[in-house]
Amino acid sequence: MKNPSAATATNVSKIYGHGDSEVRALDNVSVQFETGKFTAIMGPSGSGKSTLMHCMAGLDEMTEGSVTIADIDIASLKDKDLTKLRRDKIGFVFQSFNLVPTLNADENIRLPLLLGNNKGNEEWIQKVINTVHLQDRLTHRPSELSGGQQQRVAVARALASEPAIIFADEPTGNLDSTTGNEILSFMRKAVDELGQTIVMVTHDPVSASYADRIVFLKDGKIAGELLEPTPELVLDYMKKLGH
Amino acid sequence: MLRIALKGILGRKARLVLTSLAVILGTAFLSGTAVFSATLNRTFDNLFSDVFRNVDSYVRSTQVIEADFGAEERQRIPAELIAMIEAVPGVGDVQGDIQAFARIIGKDGQPLGSEGAGPPTFGSVGEEFKGALWTISEGKFPSNSTEVALDEASAKAGNYVVGDIVKVVAQTGSREFTLVGIAGYGDVRSPGGATFALFDLATAQEFLAKPGFVDAILISGDGSASDEELAQAINAIIPSSYKTETLTGAEITKETQDQIGSALSFFSILLSTFSYIALGVGSFVIYNVFSISAAQRQRENALLRAIGASKKQVTRALMIESVVVGLFGSTIGLFAGIGLSKALSALLKAASIDLPSGDLVVPSSAVVNTIVVGLIVTVASAWLPARRAGKVPPLAAMRETAIEIVVLSRRRSLFGLILIALGAATIVAVTSGASNKWLGLGILFVFSGTITLGPVIARPVALLLGKPAEKFRGVTGTMARQNSARNPKRTSRTASPVLIGVALVTAVAALAASISSQIDGVFTQQFKGDYAINTNARGFGGLSPSLADDINALPEVERATGIGLLTVKIDGKGQYLTTINPATVEGVYDIGLTSGSYADLTPETIFVSQQYAENNDAKLGDTLQVTLADAQVKTLSIAGIYEFDELAGKYTVSRDLTKDTTVITFDLGVYIKIKSGVSDESARTALQAAVDKYGQGTLLSKREYIDSQSGQINQLLGLIYGLLFLSVIIAIVGIIITLLLSVFERQREIGLLRAVGMTKSQVRTTVRWESVITSLLGAVVGIVLGVGLGWVIVYALRDQGLSSFSVPVGPTVSILIMAFVIGVLAAVYPAWRATRVNLLAAITTA
Ligand SMILES: Nc1ncnc2c1ncn2[C@@H]1O[C@H](COP(=O)(O)OP(=O)(O)O)[C@@H](O)[C@H]1O
Ligand SMILES: [Mg+2]
Repeated sequence: MKNPSAATATNVSKIYGHGDSEVRALDNVSVQFETGKFTAIMGPSGSGKSTLMHCMAGLDEMTEGSVTIADIDIASLKDKDLTKLRRDKIGFVFQSFNLVPTLNADENIRLPLLLGNNKGNEEWIQKVINTVHLQDRLTHRPSELSGGQQQRVAVARALASEPAIIFADEPTGNLDSTTGNEILSFMRKAVDELGQTIVMVTHDPVSASYADRIVFLKDGKIAGELLEPTPELVLDYMKKLGH
Repeated sequence: MLRIALKGILGRKARLVLTSLAVILGTAFLSGTAVFSATLNRTFDNLFSDVFRNVDSYVRSTQVIEADFGAEERQRIPAELIAMIEAVPGVGDVQGDIQAFARIIGKDGQPLGSEGAGPPTFGSVGEEFKGALWTISEGKFPSNSTEVALDEASAKAGNYVVGDIVKVVAQTGSREFTLVGIAGYGDVRSPGGATFALFDLATAQEFLAKPGFVDAILISGDGSASDEELAQAINAIIPSSYKTETLTGAEITKETQDQIGSALSFFSILLSTFSYIALGVGSFVIYNVFSISAAQRQRENALLRAIGASKKQVTRALMIESVVVGLFGSTIGLFAGIGLSKALSALLKAASIDLPSGDLVVPSSAVVNTIVVGLIVTVASAWLPARRAGKVPPLAAMRETAIEIVVLSRRRSLFGLILIALGAATIVAVTSGASNKWLGLGILFVFSGTITLGPVIARPVALLLGKPAEKFRGVTGTMARQNSARNPKRTSRTASPVLIGVALVTAVAALAASISSQIDGVFTQQFKGDYAINTNARGFGGLSPSLADDINALPEVERATGIGLLTVKIDGKGQYLTTINPATVEGVYDIGLTSGSYADLTPETIFVSQQYAENNDAKLGDTLQVTLADAQVKTLSIAGIYEFDELAGKYTVSRDLTKDTTVITFDLGVYIKIKSGVSDESARTALQAAVDKYGQGTLLSKREYIDSQSGQINQLLGLIYGLLFLSVIIAIVGIIITLLLSVFERQREIGLLRAVGMTKSQVRTTVRWESVITSLLGAVVGIVLGVGLGWVIVYALRDQGLSSFSVPVGPTVSILIMAFVIGVLAAVYPAWRATRVNLLAAITTA
């Protein structure tokens, strides 16, 4: 039977520095991200959202606790296997600088597959490209694309290898709201129509309302959860948390 | 601004080190070669003031023939002068001096030392003499015709101890002696790696030279007269018919030192030429590093501009940095160079060239030169980047990334093309009659044009060269290919040092290939025999003429003939005559006789080349006055004219010309035709036996002989390659520095790639292939330029008899392989650095 959870964090703590300058960026966090769902992580600046994402995606080492991605315990993996896990099982969308400037859009989309010497599922890739409307931009270099188009390429890249989970850290943070909404609806579509699993960090209630579920962080701890959010609900909840 | 500049420098020590590295290397070679030359000069000066330390007067012949390349052949003087000089008041001790060819044969039958290449092998006089430098360390000096002493180094190399029987080969043949003594020379075991066999005077005369003659006479005074007075007194008693001169110890010391000095100065000039080439190559690296670091600091500079710094101030800050780097780099380079020259001396020692111990000489001129030149080159290389930095608009501070903006102006292409066209036109002008002098200018134009065009051609060529990488390495190859093309200016500046080095190497290789293919052709045409006996003992005698006679008498041999060289004076100028044996030369060695026959060549006649006949309007029957080395004048009439003058030169005479004179002749080669039906094996056995009897010369088949003749040029090639190696090292360092700076600049990109799944080994592959493509770019363009340059040089030498141009295919392939290896090696450290990029820092920096 398929595990209903694409990624699981159990009692994860992350401490930066030591002694007096010690910062507890994550404090005993346990959270599960359900397969086929769009989850948003919210919280004030410095609450540990990015840190949680980095630890769960194998980009950073946690101080304590364990993380499993697609049933694989990532703490036990060596750098090489961890890299392969990121390549094959995880998709990424960052706030900016998502694309390799020397590769064109098509190559950027297929980058994880190309790095793995993997042809991938061509039918799927075409579907992804169609979903984000990039058919006529494939031969362009990032410098020839607008900010919104660049983020669409990034979303397509994250989807291309049919990963177990996609992590997006403020993917619309650098975009105007129209373009940002466009990206968000693509991500929504990817979950609804293509059955993907997405975890997105954001501090914008409107963005968060695209998700199925919101996890709130505060001072490195889980502060609460909201299901089926609307922007109003989110704002209310944030006020309740004293934000 | 000064404070900001200095803070900027100290704030980034790594950058200071990287920038200085190119300066350090360039100036290290400069100071290293200067210190090495000065030390070598001083060493030899000391050596020769030692040699004649206790010699107060020196008597020698005034008869000397000066030939090409500073070679001179001085006549010997009669030994009877020794007794006459001994009687002169004020004379303390007298010794006849002989220094001639002799080779010590080892216990395994192989000669000690090498024939041709390497330090010379001498036979000399070893006797008790007040002025002598030879001191017996074991046993005694030889005192009769069966005894020999050896220098310490040779005795050790040959495993000889006093009492052993030693075989020695000299001009008159080979002989066995009893080793009675082992001698040191001053404070070294042997002078400059040469081997010495020492005999008593009578044996030396008879075995090494000519009975009754010595090379010179050394006199040490009894202290009652000054050196000048003594020399005058000696000169006064020697009748002028002996044609001698008497020098004081100081004069002969000075003369020898000057001779060595001018021989060494050629070497010094060669060394310093190549170190300046290396520095020139280094200046590209310096320029490149400043350009990149200025570009990477674009935001910082823009910020300075935005808060009110003027263009000038920003430029000045960078210039101040370049002064600091220049001073810092060349000071370290100076010391590194001193270390380098020590390493060179150690290397020579390891090659068993035992130089007399001498302290390192660091001339103040070398110190000043290194620092000043290093500083000027650094500041000049930084000037353009500094000006560019000043021009950065304050707005650039707001831009997100500081990536060097590449605008390839049409002006650049135009300017580059004009330069190349000018160069080509100059070269064409020379080929259609203008003076050779213009070639240098033409070459300079073409080189500058190519380097100006560099950034324009870098992108397409790098993309082309990167195709295979993309094909075989997939996306990592694609990225390497694109990275090498993404900033064509940087790539071309990085490849330029490789380009220059490769162009020079290729040109030299092309010259060598042309020369050796020509030599090959000439010998194939003129040498009609099956075997040859070769000697490399040029300038120190050769094969005994009786060797050719002995071989001629062998039953396996159809015919054998010896060919030699004789130095004479014609019209007061030193000239070489080729000596042949007219009775045996025909059918073995062809000089292309067009009129006359070999039978006409007698001691009263001479053959001249067709070229000579045309140039001098000479015809059969005309006469030539030839002054032999012993001052005899012969009047020879022209009895034949020949076509093939590549080897025979202008004049050819019979070897019997010197029969009734005191001039000794030898053959430089013996050419042999075997009787038909004789097997290769039995011919070889018989010939080898004849050669072994003389202990000298190497038996070679026709093919081996021709290859060895045309291969001689490779020795020169080796030296030049060695010197160009300096430039190659700088080119490698240039690639390393650029890659490091590029990796630094692309940290975010590398972090992103690592995040989305690029493994460390793939990161390394990307950097490695970028490096290989850059290196190959330089090599490919360099080869094209080098072949062109080689052709131009060969063309310029057409008057020296070089008539055909050959493309150096083998060397070109090796250069490409080398460039590949260089690319791989240069990438090792930068690739490792790239894998160490902090993934998170790269992703999260906004
Ligand atoms: N590399 C680091 N070194 C030290 N402290 C860090 C580092 N990265 C993040 N932090 C700290 O950890 C906390 C959580 O940071 P982060 O996860 O980036 O917050 P968010 O993404 O929610 O804004 C903050 O207090 C931040 O200052
Ligand atoms: Mg964050």
